[in-house]
Amino acid sequence: MSDEAPKPYQRKIDRRTALIWVGAAGAAIAGGAGVVVYREAIGKKEPSTASGYGTDPKLNPPIKAPWPRLLSDDELQAAAVLADFILPATATAPAASALGVPDFIDEWVSAPYPDQLEDRPVIRDGLKALIPDLVRGDAARRTAALAALPKSTDEKIRAFFTRFRALTVGAYYTTEAGFKDIGYIGNEARASDPGPSAEVKAVLEERLKALGL
Amino acid sequence: MAAATVWANVQPPIVGAGDASVAATEPYDVIVVGSGAGGGMSAYHLTKSGLKVLMLEAGRDYDPVAETPMYNINAEAPLRGASTPDKPFGFYDATVDGGWEVPNEPYTVAEGSEPFIWWRPRMLGGRTNHWGRISLRFGPLDFKPRSRDGLGYDWPITYDDLAPWYDRTEKLIGVTGAAPPRGLTNTPDSPPGCLMESPPPRAFELFYARAFEAMGIPVVPMHGAVVTEAMEGRNTCVFATPCGRGCAIGANFQSTTVLLPPAMATGNLTIRTNALVYQVDLDAAGKAKGVTFVDRRTGEHHSATARAVVLAAGSGETARILLNSKSAKFPDGLCNTHGMVGRYLMDSVGLNVTGQFPALEGLPPTNDDGMSVEHTYVPWWGYDRHKELGFPRGYHVEIGGGRQMPSMSIARLMGDDASVGDDLRAGLRQRYGSVISFNGRGEMIPNDDCYCELDPKVKDKWGVPVLRFHWKWGEAETRQAAHMTTTFLEVIDRLGGKPVGEVERDGRKAISKGGEMIHEVGTARMGASDADSVVNQYGQAWAVPNLFVTDGAVLVSSPDKNPTLSILALAWRSSDHLAQSAKRGEL
Repeated sequence: MSDEAPKPYQRKIDRRTALIWVGAAGAAIAGGAGVVVYREAIGKKEPSTASGYGTDPKLNPPIKAPWPRLLSDDELQAAAVLADFILPATATAPAASALGVPDFIDEWVSAPYPDQLEDRPVIRDGLKALIPDLVRGDAARRTAALAALPKSTDEKIRAFFTRFRALTVGAYYTTEAGFKDIGYIGNEARASDPGPSAEVKAVLEERLKALGL
Repeated sequence: MAAATVWANVQPPIVGAGDASVAATEPYDVIVVGSGAGGGMSAYHLTKSGLKVLMLEAGRDYDPVAETPMYNINAEAPLRGASTPDKPFGFYDATVDGGWEVPNEPYTVAEGSEPFIWWRPRMLGGRTNHWGRISLRFGPLDFKPRSRDGLGYDWPITYDDLAPWYDRTEKLIGVTGAAPPRGLTNTPDSPPGCLMESPPPRAFELFYARAFEAMGIPVVPMHGAVVTEAMEGRNTCVFATPCGRGCAIGANFQSTTVLLPPAMATGNLTIRTNALVYQVDLDAAGKAKGVTFVDRRTGEHHSATARAVVLAAGSGETARILLNSKSAKFPDGLCNTHGMVGRYLMDSVGLNVTGQFPALEGLPPTNDDGMSVEHTYVPWWGYDRHKELGFPRGYHVEIGGGRQMPSMSIARLMGDDASVGDDLRAGLRQRYGSVISFNGRGEMIPNDDCYCELDPKVKDKWGVPVLRFHWKWGEAETRQAAHMTTTFLEVIDRLGGKPVGEVERDGRKAISKGGEMIHEVGTARMGASDADSVVNQYGQAWAVPNLFVTDGAVLVSSPDKNPTLSILALAWRSSDHLAQSAKRGEL
C-alpha cells in the first residue's frame, strides 16, 4: 500500500443516470464532464419501496439498474479503499476502483430484491464501522485495519469481509478487464468450434494418466 | 436469407382489438391457443396445409432479432446479470414476465402438498425462446412402460408410430448429435440425414468422459436444437453466446424464428398477442365453436370462432382452460366426465452435484463457449439392472463446466479462503474452469397424488379461477435421486475431485421441487379409450371431435428425455391428422 492518502473515489456513472437517481432537486450537485461526485445528502432519503426493474425489462441494450443508490459518500470511499485492497492494480490489470466496483457495491446493496436486501445491512454496517480507519485514518491506521480484516475471528466482521470480497470479485471479473485477467476467451462469433487445442489435450492426457484414467 | 430476417419484417397483425368478436370479420378454420412448441408446430403445419389459422398467445409480441442480448456481458446488466425474483434465470434470460410468478396470474399449491412451482413466460413463442435446446427422442420402452414392468401407463402409440415425425422434426428444426449408430438400449439412433455434427467435446467433456467410461457407462454426442451445418433459411451457430438468451440469428430452435415466420409467409396465419384464453365455447351440437379470452392490456373479454380448436397453452394452462369450460353437458369442465383432466401431472426428477477438480486447474486458456448446449451427455445405462438398483426407471446426465464467461458466482471458486491481491488473482486464475456440474434428469412415474385442479377461491386479475397443484414424489423417484448422488460422487472421486458444498445423500431431500425442471406434462393424456384418457393418439378430444390438444398435456409418461422434441413431433403428427380431416370435410 502506498503511504499517500488514496484519491477520493469518483463515481463512474454517466450524468444522465445520476440525474435520474438524485431527482430534480438534487440535480444542481451533479457535476459536469460525465463525472458525478457523490454527496451524502443524496443517500439520506432511503426509499422504503424502491422498485426493481420489473418482469419485462429491456434486455437489448440492457437497461441500467433504476433504483436510487443508498451508500453515503463515506461508505462509498470506504468501499473503494477496501475493494482496492482486495484487487489492487497490477502491471497488467486495473484496480477494482478503476472498474467502478464501488459503484457496483452501491447498486447491489441498494437493490430492492431479497438477496440484496439480505446483504445490505451486512455490507453497510461493515463499511460504516471501517470509516474511521479507512476514510478518516492516516496511512498507518488504514494499512493496519486492512491487514487485520482477512484474519479477523469476529463472526460479524468475517461475514462482512467474505460477502464484500465475493461482490468485489464478481463485479471485477464480469468486466472485459476481468476476462483478460482470469483468462476467459470467448463471446466472439466463430465460423466453427475447433474444440480444444493439441496443447490442451496433451496436458489433459498427462493428468488423466496420473489419475489412472 | 435467415429466417430471423424474414421475421423482422413481419409484424403479427393485431386483429380487431376491442371488437366483441374477432371472428365477425374473418372466418378461421382453426384457432390455435399458444405459440410455443405445440402451438408453433400446429400453426406451421396447418397453415402450410392451406388452413386459415388464428393463433392466440397470452403473452406479448416478441421479436428475437431486436430483443436478444447476444454479446452483452454481465457488467452491462443490472446486478451483473444476477438472478432476481423478476428474472429468476438471470437478467439476460429470454423469459418475459417472471417465470415462476407471473404478475396478475397466481396459482396455488394445496395444503399438505409437497412444493410445486410453475414456470410460465408471457411472450410469443413461449418457453421455446429460453429452453435448454436438449432434443432427445423418447425410446421404444418409453411408450410401453406398463407392459415393461407394470408401472405407469402405456401410450396408445409405439416408437415406430412417432419415428417418422421425429425424423421430420429433427430435419426441420436442426438438431446436432450425428454419430455412427450405437444401438444403445432405448436411446434411438436417428436415421442418416436427420442430425448435424456436434462440435468436438471440450476439455472438461473429454475429462469426465474418461471416468464414466471407466465405469462402463457410454458418453455420446448431445442432441441439441442448434444449427451447426449449412441449412436452407437458417444461420449456423456462432459458438459464442448462451442459447437461454434466445438467438437473434435464428441458429437454435425457437418457435419465433423457425416455425412462425414460414407460417406467416403462407398468408394463412393471424396472430393475436395478449390474448389469455380461458374457455372453449361449444355450439348446440356439442362441438367446439371457438374460444373466449381476455385481453391482458384492456381487460376486455372477446370470443373468436373457428371450425376447430387446438389447445397448446402448456400442460397447466391447457388443463385450466378445459376445467374452466363448464357447461350443462360438462359441469366439471370440458372433456372431464371421467375426472381425467389435470390428472397424471408429471415432471422430471432433477438433482445436481458439483465438483472441483485439481486436474483441470491451470489448463492453457482456451475458448470453451461451444454451442451453449452441452456437446456430450450420458444416456441412462442401467436398463437391465433396475432390480438390483432398487428403483424402476432411469436418468440421463447433463454436465456443465469449462471456462464459461464469468458471472457473480465466480468468487465461489475460492471457497472459504480469505486471500487478497496477487494471491487472490492467482487462485482465481488457477481454479477457473476446474468446476464441473453434474445434473441428473430422470423419469417420473405418474401417481395419484400429482395433479392440478381449479382452486375453489383464488381467481386471476380478470376473475378466472386459477390452478391449484398437488404434488408428491414417489419412492421410485426419490430412490433414483439418491442413486444420482452416489453416481456423481463416484465420478467426482475417480477424477480426483471434491464435491463443492454440502452433499445431501437423502434422495427425498435432494430431489428437485415438483415443476422445477419445467417439464410439467400429462394433464390431458392420450389413450386408447375415453375412460382412461382425455384425447386419442392424435390429440383429438374423445368428447369433442373438433377439439385437439398438441402440447405436453397429452404425454402418457415422462421419460428422462426432455419433452420438447417429442411435443414437436406429436404436434406435427396430430396437426397432420387434423389437416387430413379438414380436407375430407370432417371438421
